[in-house]
Amino acid sequence: MATKINPKFKDELKKYGAVNMSACYNCGTCTAVCSLSSTEESFPREMIRLSALGIENEIKSSLKPWECYYCGECTNSCPQTANPGELMMSLRRWLTSKYDWTGLSSLLYRSFPATIAALILVLAGTLFFACSRDFNLEEMLHYGHRFEIIAISTVFLVIFVPNLLRMWYFTIVKPKVRTPLKRYFSTSGELFVHMFTQKRYKDCEENTHFRWFEHMILVFAYLSLLFTTVFLNWFATYNLFFIILGYVESLLIFAITFDFVGSRIKKSRTLNKFSQPSDWLFVTWLLLMGITAFLVRLFIDLNLTESVRWVYLIHLIVLAQWALIIVPFGKWTHFLYRSFAMYFSQLKTQSKEPVSESAQ
Amino acid sequence: MEERIKIEYDALVIGAGIAGGEAALNLANTGYKVLLVEKDHSLGGKMILLSKVFPTLDCAACITTPKVSEIARHKNITIFTESEVTHVSKRGQNNFTAEITKKPRYVHVADCTACQLCEKACPVNVTDEYQYGLIGRKAAFIPFSIANPKAAVIDIENCTLCGACERVCPTHCIDFTMETELYELKMKTVILATGFRLFDPLEIPRYGYGQYKNVITSMQMEREIAPTRPYNTILRPGDGKVPDKIAYVLCTGSRDNTVGNPICSQICCMYSIKQAQLLMGALPMADVTIYYINIRSFGKGFEEFYQQAKGMGVNFIKGKIGKITEKENGNLILRYEDISSGVVSEAEHDMVVLSVGVQSNPAVSNIFDAGSLKLDFHRFVAQKDLMGSPSKTSIDGVFVAGTASGPMDIPDSILSAGSASSEAISYLSQPQQQ
Repeated sequence: MATKINPKFKDELKKYGAVNMSACYNCGTCTAVCSLSSTEESFPREMIRLSALGIENEIKSSLKPWECYYCGECTNSCPQTANPGELMMSLRRWLTSKYDWTGLSSLLYRSFPATIAALILVLAGTLFFACSRDFNLEEMLHYGHRFEIIAISTVFLVIFVPNLLRMWYFTIVKPKVRTPLKRYFSTSGELFVHMFTQKRYKDCEENTHFRWFEHMILVFAYLSLLFTTVFLNWFATYNLFFIILGYVESLLIFAITFDFVGSRIKKSRTLNKFSQPSDWLFVTWLLLMGITAFLVRLFIDLNLTESVRWVYLIHLIVLAQWALIIVPFGKWTHFLYRSFAMYFSQLKTQSKEPVSESAQ
Repeated sequence: MEERIKIEYDALVIGAGIAGGEAALNLANTGYKVLLVEKDHSLGGKMILLSKVFPTLDCAACITTPKVSEIARHKNITIFTESEVTHVSKRGQNNFTAEITKKPRYVHVADCTACQLCEKACPVNVTDEYQYGLIGRKAAFIPFSIANPKAAVIDIENCTLCGACERVCPTHCIDFTMETELYELKMKTVILATGFRLFDPLEIPRYGYGQYKNVITSMQMEREIAPTRPYNTILRPGDGKVPDKIAYVLCTGSRDNTVGNPICSQICCMYSIKQAQLLMGALPMADVTIYYINIRSFGKGFEEFYQQAKGMGVNFIKGKIGKITEKENGNLILRYEDISSGVVSEAEHDMVVLSVGVQSNPAVSNIFDAGSLKLDFHRFVAQKDLMGSPSKTSIDGVFVAGTASGPMDIPDSILSAGSASSEAISYLSQPQQQ
């Protein structure tokens, strides 16, 4: 089958944040300095070439954009300042919108006004709901908690499961990677290891692992706060241990995202030099989630009943925008796609090896 | 400071490398009085230190030394070595005044026989800049064996003033009482032939230059294969082993925005291919690999020269070296992406040569009245009319020769010097305006 090229692909990619990609003169410095690139999986130059030519099918079936953790070495060393790191980032955004069956990711990534409109829509919806309940704290808390559970399960079933299946189809089924079913089980450990430790990120920096550590703590704090609020019902619990746990988690989220926002403002790290709206939204909303959750519980504990209502309303708005926009259609999804990419990539590598003796 | 000697010349040539020397010779042969100013201790610039030249493989010294001695003996040429032009002002047409600072050599050149007794007596050892740090020299020394003037120099920065050289000197030509001399001279035209600087690879720490002993620059390799070479064979500096797997890293400091030099240096591909051919001759069992982005063999005879190297068995690998790491035995691991397969690869070599690029020597613009000498975007002397008269600068009567105007090879430098000298002659023969 002939390879289909899209000469306008690089213009398309610009909308997803690619910068100066056409300057690349194919020296391979980026690939050679990349500490995550290996003989089996060499990138990012290959991805730049595919993007420059617009070979969309190959990009769609590639897991390499997810194997990049944006250490920034490539961008720092690129003799043409073609910014390979940011290209990989924009490919991840592009892939996210290709995996998304609703097409909303694509719309939100490319259009800032659409993102604003969506945020306002959710804000209005939440206010309308609160208004209809007369801003009654008891009811808001009750429905807020119920909303969390419903949102999580709906987003998971309606958005994430089909999207992950699409990702699987694009990267495994379509490129005809043949893997026996039992390997899907035997390799699944890989999925969870990467999901919860992001251990690949650790290989990024040669001297300090601070960034990886910071990021991992954030993931843990976020997931456990989610668990604490949803399953341990943090805002309503009387269990002292759970209360303190929630405080620690929300504070951690606040502290780390504060640092992330700061470095995006200061552009102190290579990966922070070109922030897209989706990046800002992700860190800022996470920061707001942390701080508002903390304040809600603090006001409850201080018996500031009147204030709790308004702080909780703010928290609910932030939460709704987070759960309905950023999680399903925004940057949050990298949590899933990255770990699944590592899992699929492992399957791909294994499919090249002969099936083990037990199959005989 | 007080004593200023006033003499008049037709032309001032700044820089006595191959371009400046050629321009001075052309003017002198036409009958003009030339003042040739060189900041170094010898004429000949960088070319006199080279091994052979591409694409003919002629011996560089065999071309340079006769030319240099012709310049030195020419009755129309006055030479100032260890001198710098500090200021040039244009008073009118055919009317320039130059201030020149001549630093003391502490040796009367006319009396020195270059017997090297002072060198033997001198107790001070420092690294030899003319061998690009490969070996040492004394503080009282002859710059290099084919230097011109071939006379001793006292390196006063490192001298301990012990007087040992003075005592052994048979002609009593060493004189520690020499002082800096200032000149204010008049001339009718000026030729800039200030050449270029070599890129300093310390700016790219991931190549490990200065940290790994077996990573050297192409100029150091040039010295190792030159007829006046320091080791009389090819050795890697780390442990003196004869290398048998040598790598060339092209575009070190050229076509690289991260070091502020996005342009091609025009010479590195060809001199690396030349060195590779010479190494194949000197070390028949050695493997030589050239890592490149693109081979630019654009000049006359260059492509044939490249093909010849391929035919001799030089390996060419498309892919720029990303980083170099050192093994315990001093060998080096080069990481690169093999562009032909698109795969990250690592190769072990026992010696690495960084093919360093050409950088401008912008100091020249400071000697003219503020802003009058225009430089181009890359801080080379700007050519006012690149297509029509490429030797003209932004100042009427000031001409540029050789690499002062941009990277170029030796044939082009000599052509450029020819152009600059004819432009200068044509300027000199214009009827005087009032």
